[in-house]
Amino acid sequence: MNDHEYDVVIVGSGIAGSVLTKTLTQAGKKVLLLEAGLQAGIAFDAEKNFQNYQYYLNTFYKAGAKVPNSPYPNIEDAQSINVLDIEKITPENKPTTNGYLVQEGPLPFASDCLRGPGGTTLHWLGSTPRMLPNDFRMKTEYGVGVDWPITYDELKPYYEMAENEIGISGDVEDQKVPEKVVGDKTIYYNVDRTYGKDYVFPMKKIPQSYLDKVCMNRSKGLKVELNKVVYDIVYSSTPQGRNSIPDPRYKLTGITWDQRAKKLVLHRKDDYEYQPVGSNWDPYTGQRCEGNASCVPICPVQAKYNALKTLRKSDPEYLAIITQAVASRIFYDKGSNDITGIEYKKYKYADSTVFETKVAKGKIYVLAASAIENAKILLASGIANSSDQVGRNLMDHFVMLTWGLLPEKGFPYRGPGSTTNISTFRDGTFRKEHSAWISPIDNWGWAWPTFAPGTDLSNALSEGMFGKKLRAHLNDVITRQLLLHFECEQIPDPNNRVTIDPKYKDQLGNYRPVIQYQSTEYMNKAMEAAKKVSDQIFKAYGVEDFTDYTMKNADAVKYNGKVYNFWGAGHIVGTHRMGSSKEHSVVNPDQRTWDHDNLYLVGCGNMPTIGTSNPTLTMTALSFKAAESILKQLEKNEDHGSTFSKKQFETT
Amino acid sequence: MSKKTPKESFLTISVYLTGYSQVDLLGTGMLDTYYNTFVENLEIENVTTYFKEVDQILDNSGNSEEKINEGITKVLFGSALVSLTTNLITMWYTGNWGQDVISPESYTQGLIWNAAQAHPPGAKQPGYGSWADEPIEIPTI
Amino acid sequence: MEALFQKSNSKRHRLISNKFLQSLNDRNFDLLDFDKLKENLQSAIELEHSTIPPYLCALYSIKEGTNEFAVKTIRSIVVEEMLHMVMAANILNAIGGSPAINTPDFIPEYPTKLPMIDETFMVDLGKFSKESIDIFLQIEKSADHKPHGGDDYHSIGEFYTAIRESLILIDKNTPGGIFTGKPELQVTSEQYYGSGGKLIPVYCLEDALEAIEEIMGQGEGIDNSIYDGDQEMFGEDKEYAHYFKFNEIYHERKYSPTDKSDDEPSGHPINIEWNEVYNMQKNPKMSDYPVGSELYQKTYEFNKTYMALLNNLHDACNGQPDMLLKGVALMYDLKYKALELMKTPYEDDGLMAGPSFEYVN
Ligand SMILES: Cc1cc2nc3c(=O)[nH]c(=O)nc-3n(C[C@H](O)[C@H](O)[C@H](O)COP(=O)(O)OP(=O)(O)OC[C@H]3O[C@@H](n4cnc5c(N)ncnc54)[C@H](O)[C@@H]3O)c2cc1C
Ligand code: SF4
Repeated sequence: MNDHEYDVVIVGSGIAGSVLTKTLTQAGKKVLLLEAGLQAGIAFDAEKNFQNYQYYLNTFYKAGAKVPNSPYPNIEDAQSINVLDIEKITPENKPTTNGYLVQEGPLPFASDCLRGPGGTTLHWLGSTPRMLPNDFRMKTEYGVGVDWPITYDELKPYYEMAENEIGISGDVEDQKVPEKVVGDKTIYYNVDRTYGKDYVFPMKKIPQSYLDKVCMNRSKGLKVELNKVVYDIVYSSTPQGRNSIPDPRYKLTGITWDQRAKKLVLHRKDDYEYQPVGSNWDPYTGQRCEGNASCVPICPVQAKYNALKTLRKSDPEYLAIITQAVASRIFYDKGSNDITGIEYKKYKYADSTVFETKVAKGKIYVLAASAIENAKILLASGIANSSDQVGRNLMDHFVMLTWGLLPEKGFPYRGPGSTTNISTFRDGTFRKEHSAWISPIDNWGWAWPTFAPGTDLSNALSEGMFGKKLRAHLNDVITRQLLLHFECEQIPDPNNRVTIDPKYKDQLGNYRPVIQYQSTEYMNKAMEAAKKVSDQIFKAYGVEDFTDYTMKNADAVKYNGKVYNFWGAGHIVGTHRMGSSKEHSVVNPDQRTWDHDNLYLVGCGNMPTIGTSNPTLTMTALSFKAAESILKQLEKNEDHGSTFSKKQFETT
Repeated sequence: MSKKTPKESFLTISVYLTGYSQVDLLGTGMLDTYYNTFVENLEIENVTTYFKEVDQILDNSGNSEEKINEGITKVLFGSALVSLTTNLITMWYTGNWGQDVISPESYTQGLIWNAAQAHPPGAKQPGYGSWADEPIEIPTI
Repeated sequence: MEALFQKSNSKRHRLISNKFLQSLNDRNFDLLDFDKLKENLQSAIELEHSTIPPYLCALYSIKEGTNEFAVKTIRSIVVEEMLHMVMAANILNAIGGSPAINTPDFIPEYPTKLPMIDETFMVDLGKFSKESIDIFLQIEKSADHKPHGGDDYHSIGEFYTAIRESLILIDKNTPGGIFTGKPELQVTSEQYYGSGGKLIPVYCLEDALEAIEEIMGQGEGIDNSIYDGDQEMFGEDKEYAHYFKFNEIYHERKYSPTDKSDDEPSGHPINIEWNEVYNMQKNPKMSDYPVGSELYQKTYEFNKTYMALLNNLHDACNGQPDMLLKGVALMYDLKYKALELMKTPYEDDGLMAGPSFEYVN
């Protein structure tokens, strides 16, 4: 295909980019996909695909620090943000410049993502709760943040598409989470309304862990008190993008573009049986989650969803992929503001300094390079920013961890990362004062905060333990480890932002993102509240608390005389938000930039607020919405002759 | 007591150091790798000293586990040898030599996961839904 | 201690079960004999099971990270053998029988003759090798591939053909039919995953015939084609029947689309590394080791796990179908225990210990 023939140029093969690529090519639109990562990672041929994945897996086995990016190549030409690069920021050590990000602080941004084919879903955990209706109207309900320009109900059909595409296992009944407490009564969301009567997920819920059951059994009827309000501790099984037993009641077959109705349709067939999507190299591998307990950083059998599963469904006849192609700048026509091309640098091989600069052209352009990179490319191009919101409102969940030892064995380090969450504080009037949070029970012991169980061994050895005593000691300690997360929603803050600075460029001469990031009262108060709740839960469980926060930790804040630590959730959100006005947002509800008629942005950067849900499901729903808008726009142009001036092909 | 090769001494003392039986250790398939790693990472004099001490402990114990444990505490956990000893135990438990993972296989054969009644994350998958129950325990005789 | 393991005499080999022997001796068993039909279905379960330990030994003996093609192939075949076993149990349950999967004589003593009376080869528990694949080929060989002689079944396929005829006849001749078993005993596809084929629950004659079709298709191929029946029935990707899959390994070559079932495969070469295996001692027995020795103990633990798996399958096929999913965990545990044995020297002769698949209680 020659450059001028593309209908759409898409940057990035993560879930956002893959959903678009699949949907658009299946609708017969010609797509050029630019991907910064290595060619090997995209192999569609089963054998090559398997070999490349085994290479990832062995790299993971061999890695000393098994962090999210550890299995995957980190290419100098398109570096990944890496949690190993995080340092404490101090007046003497500022900005920190390890790795890809330049961090000005005062606190380091603590989440990473993966630049490579398939993107960050290769090492996401795969938890996929929907956002709650109130999350879409934070300003109206609680006077904080902003409202979304669309409501939960408007997003609902797209949620169903996202759940179909990712292949969610879950139990809708369990999503009956508390909305608020009135007097001494807890009001719950009604799933018949939020999900619709009879709605089910494609697969039955992933079995909740033995550990979950120990926790639930030890806290039957537990109530906790916070600021004089009494809350029921409510457990919900977590919907997730990993394979389980198909739910025979699920009859939604797939998503196609309905040309007549000009919309995407999720089809239903009464005699349909859902088939779990197995690995990319063998459909029989990964039909069920096998409990490898390594979903982050790598699922060995690909029972967990990753974006390459979606990309593979694209219609190859309409798709061209260029890998090792790092998008650097976007060109536009100063008269019409139409985008005229995307400049990319194609490097020869991993880490090579040899590259060619080229321009990709199409009718419509989509950035799907993840929130920080999208914002950076826009800033580097000086476009889409009449609102001055590009790069601002960077958000994540502050993950405050608490850990302790159960009085009985809960047998952690087994199963997917988390199968149950405490949903009590996902919503409520307290959100006027401090953030809401979701509390997953972590199935992997103290691994995250203390690097257990390796540290349990070294501690025991330093006490002179060996032999049978050592073995028994490890058995006793490791099997009783409990870790809770308190994933606190961050509120959009214009000062939490991505900028660029000509001082900081990578080896291809592309800008490195410069980050400013801080915590606010709203967050600190939430951590204080969450710790109080944690204390009460631990007491009920009979857990001995070993939580240890220190100012030495990279992300440490002191609040009311107490130190709190938080970790990054990997939820990079908000850097090019959607809104109802051109003045305050970067994209409109169609996910199209206000400033450029043929430029769309997709990914978590579009989300105005983060709520207490892991963001990818919601973002995927929005990506389907974007695909629909693009198809509408393309077909309108086809119907009425091109509305784009021919100019776009003439100017470079 | 018959004369042992250093590798045999290595295996025998590993049994007392790790708390795992000889067949458990052999069953990891890692004996050769670990023995070689141990020897390669030390000065030759240190290797000789270490095995001399080990043999002395084993030979003078009259097969009494208690005596061997005493010897281990006194000599192998003594200031001169303690770091070698902890490295040796760590190797069996995690597949690491110091901070380095010896090989992909060594990671998957780490005994710490067995001690924890779990499995190395990303390997030896226990199967769908297994985490919803207590770990399988097959009663021994 | 004595009671913990069965007395073994490797010179004498015992067939799967005496009942089975008789039924096979009697080539033209009375197709209208309902009890005989049930016995034969029980035998079918035992027959399907008898191939699993040898296949598993070959599979586990392959060193991690090598022989990708062989591993994938044998793994899928073993999973399908289990599927066949459960489907045979489904048929038996459907006609009111009760499958017995955990009785002392359920496990053959290896080396064993394949429960086919006119077969002359012995099936061992042993490592992955050209020799073992050759035996597997003979196991999976279809009736048409070798000369007929005598009155006995020549293949698994012939045996199932007789069962099929008998099912049809007796069902027709019985007022109200014979499919009166409790439907809740059926193991359904919900409890099964991970290979081609499909677990067919059996509630009526048509289901039973479909299940038999599926079993025969996967083992030997339908109508002499090298493909199994899956793509016809389930629209799956093309899958070769077991015989042809093993033949590809044997010849280190894939079939090309134009190959006929009598041809040797003539497609792309496959990388088979016959040496990348644990050198497992053939047909190990607990009695090879001193009672109470560490290897004795490990082998015993392996067998205990195997018994747990058989018990689990038994329960799954006798009213608790959900148990099948729990069996997956036991399957994996079994594998890890087998691997430990295969990495442990047997004696100083370079041979390794291995799983013995013996009945213990
Ligand atoms: C450890 C971890 C756990 C997580 N767990 C969850 C979870 O449980 N639930 C949940 O909802 N979310 C989770 N997330 C977040 C989730 O992974 C992301 O929201 C999601 O993957 C983002 O998808 P994306 O397509 O927008 O971006 P990405 O997946 O990051 O993809 C971006 C793509 O663009 C490419 N690219 C980048 N820059 C360029 C460039 N300049 N030129 C060309 N191509 C480029 C990249 O190579 C990549 O392919 C987790 C994240 C992490 C880090
Ligand atoms: S638990 Fe294991 S099999 Fe399941 S999704 Fe995670 S890594 Fe994959």
